[in-house]
Amino acid sequence: MSKTIYQLVDELPSGGMTVMALRSLDIVVPGEWQNLVGFDNTIRAVTGETDPAFIQQIGERAVYLFNDKSQGYQTALWLYQSVDRASSALGAAALANKVGEKVPLLGFLGNITPKAEKAQTIDLAVKLVVELVAFCQINGIPGDSIGDFLASLGDYSGESLMRMAALVCFDGLIPLGPDFIQMVLSRFNNMSPQELEQNQSFQGVKDQIPGGNSDGKLGFINESFGSVSGWMGDFVKSRGLTPQKVAQNLSNFIEFSDDKLDYLGAFLDVSTNYYEHTGIQTLARRLIERAVAEI
Amino acid sequence: MNFNRLRRIIPALLLAVLLLVTSTSCRAQDTSPYAQTQKQSTQRGATPAVAKNAEQGSSFNKFFPKSADGYQVVPAQEKKGFAEYKLNKDGKNVAVMSINDTVSTPDAQKKYQQSTEKIGGYPAAEAPGNATGVLVNNRYQVKVASRDPSFTKNDRVTWLQKFNLSGIAQLK
Repeated sequence: MSKTIYQLVDELPSGGMTVMALRSLDIVVPGEWQNLVGFDNTIRAVTGETDPAFIQQIGERAVYLFNDKSQGYQTALWLYQSVDRASSALGAAALANKVGEKVPLLGFLGNITPKAEKAQTIDLAVKLVVELVAFCQINGIPGDSIGDFLASLGDYSGESLMRMAALVCFDGLIPLGPDFIQMVLSRFNNMSPQELEQNQSFQGVKDQIPGGNSDGKLGFINESFGSVSGWMGDFVKSRGLTPQKVAQNLSNFIEFSDDKLDYLGAFLDVSTNYYEHTGIQTLARRLIERAVAEI
Repeated sequence: MNFNRLRRIIPALLLAVLLLVTSTSCRAQDTSPYAQTQKQSTQRGATPAVAKNAEQGSSFNKFFPKSADGYQVVPAQEKKGFAEYKLNKDGKNVAVMSINDTVSTPDAQKKYQQSTEKIGGYPAAEAPGNATGVLVNNRYQVKVASRDPSFTKNDRVTWLQKFNLSGIAQLK
């Protein structure tokens, strides 16, 4: 049987590559993310409640909500996990042992291969769409209008904002360079449904992407990416982000040279699962918020 | 001959026993205080978390207060039987507001049964998570929960009064 929601939250790592990579982004979204781990701990942090009996009651309702398949929370978890799993797990275990000391990236170059630019652009767009679909599975489509929904999406903070920052930095800027948004937009404009079909990340989650057939799904991804591209562009510009700046922050725990940024991208791909990590944190928060409101 | 066969079978049997023992011991490890709830909520025929006849979350939207006095009201969740809005000030989340149909959580009504306090004519009570709530028509729980210490009980009562409570009372 797969893990329970409280096991998933209890077992979130408090250190390791994913956590270190995300911490390196604190400079991008200062103070937004604390690595909140542990189910009861999350209940205390979200509600401010300290009475163990209340905490238990809130937790029980959250477990019930998660296990009711019709509520969409399990689908969201599956999406967050699948999109990370598509990135190869190669070398992740070996790297886990390296944490705490500086990892000389060059030593690992023999084991990792950067993805082709095409695969990388599709990955980025698929991840973004997964974010949108998972958001709807967790939160429904809140409010009465598209404007309400967008306001709700735009109100990202904490671990959700950190996930978007990591998406922009680790899956956009580092592997694809400063013009990654334009690159994805133009590539998707010329893409055939067959090309999309061949991508592993898309294959993993395609059943949950709206649009019917691959042609329709391609349209949906294109439209979603297009509509969030403005937000991403502002994010990059307002924070003065460049591949070098992001890499500089990562250099606190990884040694590499500037001309190997595509390898750094591949390294992050195989050694981190930031989507699943922060996704579980988002899911737990929303479940707990709902649970405490309902009891 | 028989012995040889036996020699081949025994390791296989031992392996099978080993696998069985390890897999059962792995499964028996859930000592969490939520293990019982996990079992209840996943067993065959378990009561779903949300009752079939719960009101749609979308019908709650129009009863929430609107942005005012420097506060922004932002939609957050809308599920069957539940809707939640954030209350932000200066870009910071200070409280959350919610309406839920207690048809799925009848225990939630208990705290209002002994209540002597009323807000907007409905029984009011303090709830877990620094929250104040009212129960409308003995069914719909309307709550405001503080997420920042600056948002006091008085603020919660003020914002509860901004809900269209009589509108909620019109729902069935």
